[in-house]
Amino acid sequence: MLLRLAWRNIWRNRRRTIISLLALAMGVMAIISIHSFRISANEVIVEAVTRGLVGDVQVHARGYQDEPELDKVVPAPAVVDAMLAAFVPSARTERRVIGGGLASASDAATSALVLGIEPEKPDARALVKIERGRWLAPRAAGEAARAAARGDDRPPAREAVIGKTLANELGVTVGGEVVLVSQAADGSLANERYTVVGLGDVGNEDANATSVFLHIQDAQELFALGTGVHQIIVRGSDDATRMRALLDPSLEVVSWTQIIPDLKSSMDSKERNSRLLDLIVFLIVALGILNTMTMATFERTRELGVLAALGTRRRRILAMILIESLMLGVLGFAIGLALAFALLTGLGTTSMGGFGNAEFMGVRMPETIDMTIQSGPVIKSAIISALTMLAGGLIPAIRAARQNPIDAMRHV
Amino acid sequence: MKTLMVMLVLARAATAGEPKDLPACPTKSDAPDLAQLLTRVEKSMQGSSSIGTVTMTIKTTKWTRTLKMKMWGKGEDYALVRILEGGPREKGMMTLKRDKQLWNYLPQAGRVMKVPSGMLGDSWMGSDFTNDDLVHGTSIVRDFDAKLVSQTKAAWRVDLVPRKNATVVWDKIEVTLDRATCVPVLERFYDEDGKVARTMTFGDIRSIGWRHFPAKLTVKPSEAGRETSIAYDSIELDIDVPDDTFSLRRLQQGR
Repeated sequence: MLLRLAWRNIWRNRRRTIISLLALAMGVMAIISIHSFRISANEVIVEAVTRGLVGDVQVHARGYQDEPELDKVVPAPAVVDAMLAAFVPSARTERRVIGGGLASASDAATSALVLGIEPEKPDARALVKIERGRWLAPRAAGEAARAAARGDDRPPAREAVIGKTLANELGVTVGGEVVLVSQAADGSLANERYTVVGLGDVGNEDANATSVFLHIQDAQELFALGTGVHQIIVRGSDDATRMRALLDPSLEVVSWTQIIPDLKSSMDSKERNSRLLDLIVFLIVALGILNTMTMATFERTRELGVLAALGTRRRRILAMILIESLMLGVLGFAIGLALAFALLTGLGTTSMGGFGNAEFMGVRMPETIDMTIQSGPVIKSAIISALTMLAGGLIPAIRAARQNPIDAMRHV
Repeated sequence: MKTLMVMLVLARAATAGEPKDLPACPTKSDAPDLAQLLTRVEKSMQGSSSIGTVTMTIKTTKWTRTLKMKMWGKGEDYALVRILEGGPREKGMMTLKRDKQLWNYLPQAGRVMKVPSGMLGDSWMGSDFTNDDLVHGTSIVRDFDAKLVSQTKAAWRVDLVPRKNATVVWDKIEVTLDRATCVPVLERFYDEDGKVARTMTFGDIRSIGWRHFPAKLTVKPSEAGRETSIAYDSIELDIDVPDDTFSLRRLQQGR
């Protein structure tokens, strides 16, 4: 009975109702779209970052994050691997050696970033898109040791994969050789020759112009690090706290949010900004609803007076008006949701806006993202719009319910 | 034995007389002609040619390395440094300067690397000396404008500011010159921020023929705990050095 009454009431002034519904629907749509966009973008960014050089979590020697130095190494990476394999089974690890140096070929030389990686691991393989030649040859564990035991002091060929821009600068191509010079961790003058087996795209221009990828064993030898590595990249688990508890206290465990705090804080501040936007949008919508419901009850002052005079309880009048308001809310929300869905599906793939093509820690963000509607903002906007409607409807409803029927009926 | 050798070498150099066109050391002057003074300083430090053996000691907070090397120089344009003793990676390493160009021979790689001209001011082989220091790439007479700043009874203090076209990485060099010997005692190198980037001290001043020669140079960069010193075990100045010493082909062959 009340529901039917309320339903009929809201359609008595069709134009006003439609305008109110649209206002609410627009608000809902805006909020769902904006948040969905933000969340989708963040997902893409986090994915790009953690899949790329940074990983979900990194294990270093203590102090490396703040001040990376060549001699700050994780001395026994095998222990870290074993601990994580045993206690965080979802984690995949990848070792890295990182050092600066001078790369030269024939008459050209330029500074380079030497990255020792484990070419056998798919995660490491994914760091470079090989454009010419091939990826570094995998090396079976212990191969170097066996070669040394055979008395072969120049064991497996020293190979390098270099950034395509660097290759251009040095004037080398696949099959050529590049010489790396650097100061090793023990102060000695590292100098070694490598055969270029592949040229690749490392994901951004800076990296393409400086990166030299070596087998991690070659890099350890070049920099005189023994078995030490600078970073152990962990993917597949971001539980830094648990890893910290597991590992030796001489190691530091940092999550990507600590490694790229700028990215994290930019995401956080975007979230804060959009929360403020939520508030403003719904405040405006709430005022509109308040206005609509005030008018709707004011117009019906006499009618409501009659209802009261006929013995309708105040509570029922209150409920009726609140239901009207809620109905508006539900309808508006449904329309807004449909619009948001249509918009996001219609956009499908869209530009990344401010984040597009930006780089964080050598990870280039994709220019576009696939938009998907996110359940978080949908639920959030449903709750907010319900609250808004209740708030907007409450005052007129209370006023209407409290009216003296006689005064109300005299109302012109 | 080593001292004896040094003495012998020094004795040989002593036989060469002071060149006639060389300005005298204006010890008594409170307002020396700076151009002449600096010419004398440069001539006595470098000579027209030289062959020397030195011990370089690089100290950091983490490690200390000692390299024994031999250095040849001829005029402004030619210089060669060869590491005689050091770690297995360094032994045989060479740096050659011809005209304005610089090459390194890398023994482990078995290759020659051309040093980009932008790296003249970079560290030489991880020491606190620059490539430029080792091969005397810049000339205090040609590349700097000099100004006498102050003086005491014992020393002049001269500021050197690089001329416009000079390839000098420093913003200013403050030189303290000993009045008695016309040899620098201390040099302070300022970077473009106006901060002292490193100081070079000169010690163990020996008298070799007409000249005074600082046989020990120590460089301290602003970075704490680092220091590199060069001590001459022997030096012969103004002697005949064959041109093919500075052959690029020889360098490429690692000889």
